[in-house]
Amino acid sequence: MTTHNMLIAPDFSPDRFAGWHMFNTLIQKRANLNMHLNIPASHAEQEQVIDAGDIQIIYANPFDAATLIREQGYRAIARPIGKSDEMVIAAAANSAISRLEDIQVGATVAMADNRDVKLIGLRLLEAVDIEASDLNWDVTETYQAAARKVIKGEAQVAFFLAEIFHSFSRLTKTQLSVLIESDLADISHVLLVKEDFPDAQIFLEAILNLHNDDDGKEALAELGMPQGFEPMSEEDAEFMIDLMQTLLD
Amino acid sequence: MGSPIPDAHKPDMPAEQITMTYHDGTSRTVYDTGIERPYPDGKLIVSRTNLDGIITHVNDAFVEISGYHIDELIGQQHYILRHPDMPKAAYKDLWSTAESGQKWHGYVKNLCKDGSHYWVYATVVPNVRRGEIVGYTSVRRKPSRSKIEAAMTQYAQMKQDEEG
Repeated sequence: MTTHNMLIAPDFSPDRFAGWHMFNTLIQKRANLNMHLNIPASHAEQEQVIDAGDIQIIYANPFDAATLIREQGYRAIARPIGKSDEMVIAAAANSAISRLEDIQVGATVAMADNRDVKLIGLRLLEAVDIEASDLNWDVTETYQAAARKVIKGEAQVAFFLAEIFHSFSRLTKTQLSVLIESDLADISHVLLVKEDFPDAQIFLEAILNLHNDDDGKEALAELGMPQGFEPMSEEDAEFMIDLMQTLLD
Repeated sequence: MGSPIPDAHKPDMPAEQITMTYHDGTSRTVYDTGIERPYPDGKLIVSRTNLDGIITHVNDAFVEISGYHIDELIGQQHYILRHPDMPKAAYKDLWSTAESGQKWHGYVKNLCKDGSHYWVYATVVPNVRRGEIVGYTSVRRKPSRSKIEAAMTQYAQMKQDEEG
């Protein structure tokens, strides 16, 4: 049996690793496919793996999906229900920064390397006349490290993927104050398959039926997608890509 | 020529009554209360139109801030939101840019159903499908106060020039 390669974009909470392995095991069983799970550690590694050319399935972040669909021969087939990609801008709870307007030119922003979070955060800061060049950027290994920096006062604010921010311990969260959380709603990760992937239909059916039994529900809960996946049409994907194009500048 | 969009209801509060005439020759009475509605933090306000400027999709944030019911928006000309303070040249630039397949950015003052208004930073992109433009998506973000004030000055001057 042919082995297919599935790649998961690296921008998820570390708590989700087990969920992706459960997902892969279940889908293989139910769709009767051999699938190898690729979880690159960084966006750069993701690009290398995709450029090498043997990835049939990608759980892609929305900004990458635009290029993958329009330039690299992938098509969207499904997306998680009710799980849009949002970000949080936070400062230390005991700092003088309690709203976006308090962020000064020259402030340092701590964040993990995630260009989507950075892009959306910068769009939100436009409302207070702050641009990328007004800020110093401290790129940390993880979002947890970014939280520590801002709590210790080594950075004035931090950008987080909202899902990761909300997974922080209560202790961490009480030391941070949220200045804004995005509510973009229409933008989410998407499941893509290569245009010539022969088993797309059987794969899609297995994905869409995951929430119908206990094992599937458990995997989805581990992934933070309790409602499961919904099918995504070509036009749904194109609509999301158009929307994202507006956020690029 | 009569307008396909009904005249606005007169608000309960003091408001300036204005007759708007649109590019298609139709006209409509609107009211301007001068009250500004705050942009919803963290959100995008999204709509789509077909090639004729008819609204085909609006998101919840769009409906909420506009004050209209969704049924009053879908199928209607997008200029239902046009505020009398906006110069015609701004929309001309928007449409000619988008129709040529390019992205348009600009600050826009929109009129709500009740005569209040809200400012946005709007980006319009053509929806290109298999090489053809089939419609337009407009996405609005929250603009800064300083940018709004600059736009107010610029648009007032443009309006004055238009009215001679």
